[in-house]
Amino acid sequence: MRREWLVVGAIWAALTALGEFVVTTWTMLPEGYSRESHVVNEAYVLLLVMAVPVFAFMVTMLGYSIVAFRHPGATEDGPNLGNNKRVVWIWLAVTAALDLAVLINPGFVGLRDIRGTQSADMAIEVVGQRWSWTVTYENGATSTTEMVVPVDTRIRFDVTSTDVLHSFWVPGFGLKVDAVPGRTTQMYVTTERTGDNADDSRLRVQCAELCGLSHADMAMTVRVVERAEYDAWVEDLKNNPPAAAQQAAGATATTAAGEQNDQQAGAAAGQEG
Amino acid sequence: MRPLFRAIKWGIGGYLLGAVAAWVMAGASGPLNGPIEVTVGFIAGLIGWIFGIGGWNNWGREWFGLPPKDDGKDDWRRYFRFNTDHKVVGVQYLVAFIAVMGIGGIMAMLMRLELARAGTDFMSEETYNKVMSMHGILMVAVAVAGILGSFGNYLIPLMIGAQDMAFPRLNALSFWLIPPVAVALLSAPLLGSFEAGWTAYPPLSVLAPGDGQLLFNMGVIAFGLSSILGGLNILTTVTTMRAPGMTWGRLPIFVWAGFSASLISVLFTQYFAATLVMIQLDRIAGTAFFDAKAGGGTLLYEHLFWFYSHPAVYIMVLPAFGVSLEIITHFSRKPLFAYKAVVGAFLTIVGLSGIVWAHHMFTSGMANYFHAPFMALTEAISIPTGVVFLAAIGTMWKGRIWFTAPMIMATGWVFNFMIGGITGIFHADVATDLQLHDTYFVVAHFHFTIIGGSIMGLLGGTFYWFPKITGRMYNERLGKIFALWVTIGLNVVFLPMFWVGVNGMNRRVAVYPADLQRVNEFISAAAFLLGAGFLLFIGNLLWSAVKGPKASDNPWNASTLEWSVSSPPPHHNFPLLPEVVGHPYEYGRPGARHAVLSTTGATHG
Amino acid sequence: MAAVTLEAAHSRAELLHQPRSNKLGLWIFMASETFLFSALISARFITSGVQKPEDLNQALAFGLTCVLLVSSISAYLAEAFIATGHRRAFLAATRVTIVFGLIFIGGVMFEWREALHNFPPGTIYGTAFFSLIGLHAFHVLTGVLGLAVVLNLGALGHFGPSNSWPVEGVVKYWHFVDLMWVIIYPALYLF
Ligand code: HEM
Ligand SMILES: [Cu+2]
Ligand SMILES: [Cu+2]
Repeated sequence: MRREWLVVGAIWAALTALGEFVVTTWTMLPEGYSRESHVVNEAYVLLLVMAVPVFAFMVTMLGYSIVAFRHPGATEDGPNLGNNKRVVWIWLAVTAALDLAVLINPGFVGLRDIRGTQSADMAIEVVGQRWSWTVTYENGATSTTEMVVPVDTRIRFDVTSTDVLHSFWVPGFGLKVDAVPGRTTQMYVTTERTGDNADDSRLRVQCAELCGLSHADMAMTVRVVERAEYDAWVEDLKNNPPAAAQQAAGATATTAAGEQNDQQAGAAAGQEG
Repeated sequence: MRPLFRAIKWGIGGYLLGAVAAWVMAGASGPLNGPIEVTVGFIAGLIGWIFGIGGWNNWGREWFGLPPKDDGKDDWRRYFRFNTDHKVVGVQYLVAFIAVMGIGGIMAMLMRLELARAGTDFMSEETYNKVMSMHGILMVAVAVAGILGSFGNYLIPLMIGAQDMAFPRLNALSFWLIPPVAVALLSAPLLGSFEAGWTAYPPLSVLAPGDGQLLFNMGVIAFGLSSILGGLNILTTVTTMRAPGMTWGRLPIFVWAGFSASLISVLFTQYFAATLVMIQLDRIAGTAFFDAKAGGGTLLYEHLFWFYSHPAVYIMVLPAFGVSLEIITHFSRKPLFAYKAVVGAFLTIVGLSGIVWAHHMFTSGMANYFHAPFMALTEAISIPTGVVFLAAIGTMWKGRIWFTAPMIMATGWVFNFMIGGITGIFHADVATDLQLHDTYFVVAHFHFTIIGGSIMGLLGGTFYWFPKITGRMYNERLGKIFALWVTIGLNVVFLPMFWVGVNGMNRRVAVYPADLQRVNEFISAAAFLLGAGFLLFIGNLLWSAVKGPKASDNPWNASTLEWSVSSPPPHHNFPLLPEVVGHPYEYGRPGARHAVLSTTGATHG
Repeated sequence: MAAVTLEAAHSRAELLHQPRSNKLGLWIFMASETFLFSALISARFITSGVQKPEDLNQALAFGLTCVLLVSSISAYLAEAFIATGHRRAFLAATRVTIVFGLIFIGGVMFEWREALHNFPPGTIYGTAFFSLIGLHAFHVLTGVLGLAVVLNLGALGHFGPSNSWPVEGVVKYWHFVDLMWVIIYPALYLF
């Protein structure tokens, strides 16, 4: 009896240690470009850390039972242990405590952190329409091929849609918010690191709410650049707006798969026509 | 087969009649500016079909004071007509839904074929959207009604010592609503665009051209009706038809699970019906439920939709909880651990399931103050769910575990559903959900919960009760291989999806960033293997149903009532009502009995 | 011989359970329908709050409400009569109830003709108005059909004091439909 529990405890401890080692050293989530994505990553790892002991316990119990208690045929009954109030209460207490812990951190703490203050250094308007995004900067310049934002800036995206539901998602920023017809939804992002879609496909605006035919292609590249570069870029955009036709052609080619894939490019062109 | 042909004739005739009548009337009255023909045609066709299959002879005639007529003999043809025997209905459900699962599975294979490459190589995006929507709704239907319809109907009366369901004709009706639903869903893409997924979010579902969406809505509404009627029947049966001595505290756990799931389906399904009716009205009568310009809104849809569809996930998994705990108990040959706590957990889940819906809407733009409470309530569900896991491991502990195919499946269920449950926390947590929502992380999560939680219960239960239902034994070795195949295969296919999800692949896309192609190739290859494994399942069962060795009445030596009658059970189950004298799972207590059957002397009673 | 007794045992069991089952089943069904109505009623408040147009036909709506309430009384009488074996009175009361139901449906149709001009379904109030009243009128219609069926069967000599469930069931359903109107009426006309 006692020995059984010792063995189980040892396996559990070993599995837990192994699991914790894996989830804390293997960064499954790639590093993001915004303060918010760090909140997400921390919450994610914390949840994994908390899940490991639970998972390890269940695996140990299952594994041990499978190995130790197997008995071919229905020839013999196990002990008549139908209930054990103490075990049930302990189990309830432990799961409730875990639940509470998860709820507080990363739950409430993560919610507070990811939302941050409701103030921003700049506002960018985003309009989703089937199947492209239109981004309007503070100086009135608009682009539909590429979104460029300055680093170390708290940006408020004012998002809306002209037709159906879309979702404004930049995987590298760690957040998304739906584009809802007739409403403006807001998303605050604090950029922290420069980057370019050419190096990381997660720097793209991707529609994340099914919106029909070309939902998958409803994407545009994103670049996070130094402030000075950004200022020059929007100024230039304002003074030399790219020809409308050129813009439209680029709008769907940004899904990173497009570049190497003829058929994909063909499909994208077909949708434009 | 006559009723079946009659049903087809009357169904098609009804459809045409309804469509023409609608066309004539809509032309005259004006305010209906859309294709109401499909809608009215479907309703008329549905009624024609139901009457044709036997609803008229068995039921409708009575409304006019005519004596009901029987439709034929009790040979194999009884499966093809309106039959009130709960065992026939159960088998009809089981076979039908395994077939639907096969169709949905083929769709999944087609999708994985497309996703093996980053671009659109195999099908167009339009086709992909259709296939994806079809896979989704078919599989949701399997998960919602697969276990409740088949094992719920077949076993609940047997387990509680009743001779049939409380409303046998209603029971037949709820099954025969299913074929027209299948026809409607499968033919929806033919009528034009059908791309809004099984969730049918407006405005997309309102704006999509073509009538496919209309047919989809009607099909799903009819399916909802079927599941409401089925749930109503189970609730009533369990409440009023229990054998003498079968107190609430002595119900087998599967009965409790079916009862809890039925509570949800009876109440909440109406919300799904209501939302689809709204879409239908927006499309054909020009109402403005979801028209932002007129003051309507899509958030309304999301709230009402998830008010059903979150509880619906418990309609999917609760019956499987019941099946798996049942299997674990009998094959561990120990009483179910913490029976009362499990029942309490089921009912708590039912209650909580109704107040957590907005966790699907953290990114929807709804007011921020909803976030914290819905996160808290959602995470609270992990406590009753944890009790179910406690019952599973507590029962296995120190048991005499016999690893048959169903037991392997049930053990795998514990493991896989646990992964689904743990990753659910990542969606309940607002911070992580803002990133993970609508990515492949969700796809992986819900396949672990739906396949791991619900379908594995269906598969395990099919093996477990196969000898009872067919009177023959399946091939144990093939069954074991298949059970292991599914348990492990699920992990191989869907674990990598978590990874592609956090690396920026969103769901419901045929095209994705090229740097994720390697992993997707692997997933597709694994998915084909997993899919191929199901041939083993189908082959095993088909072969064994015909050629398998005869099974004894109680091959597992299990204690619940369904095993005390012959395999397959006689027409009215029990010649005389059994008398229940004890708890169903008294393994390990010498001399304990669950029920006393008086079979001899029945004819004199 | 054996088979016959089996059937007998079977039907005995059914007799034992069926009245309870019928009642319970009907209650569950009505609970379920309540959810359906609640979905549309909450849609009304979510999309359009308590706003309502000026040109609602308040007098007609009030009249129809009264018709429906009175029909509940006649329906109750029908049930009471058949339960005490007064077949002719039962038939009369059922007929009266059906007529009231038809008056209600006629009134709704009349009201809709006005409403289509004043606040068509494309407006946000019209959306709530037509969907809720339409749903309810559909239920009234099914209630009338149910009453017609028991009326016909009653005229053919079915039912009696020991066997009045179908009447009771239809009448309960009728009360339920009335009750829903008592909620819909203020939601659309009074607030
Ligand atoms: C080998 C088995 C399966 C594979 C490989 C598979 C694969 C997939 C894929 C690739 C998607 C599309 C994901 C997306 O683009 O969003 C999907 C969606 C889905 N699957 Fe499966 N699936 C399988 C079995 C099942 C089963 C058994 C069920 C449920 C009983 C199920 C339920 C769903 C649902 C509900 C969706 C969502 C559809 C939507 O977004 O509207 N799947 N599956
Ligand atoms: Cu979109
Ligand atoms: Cu949910």
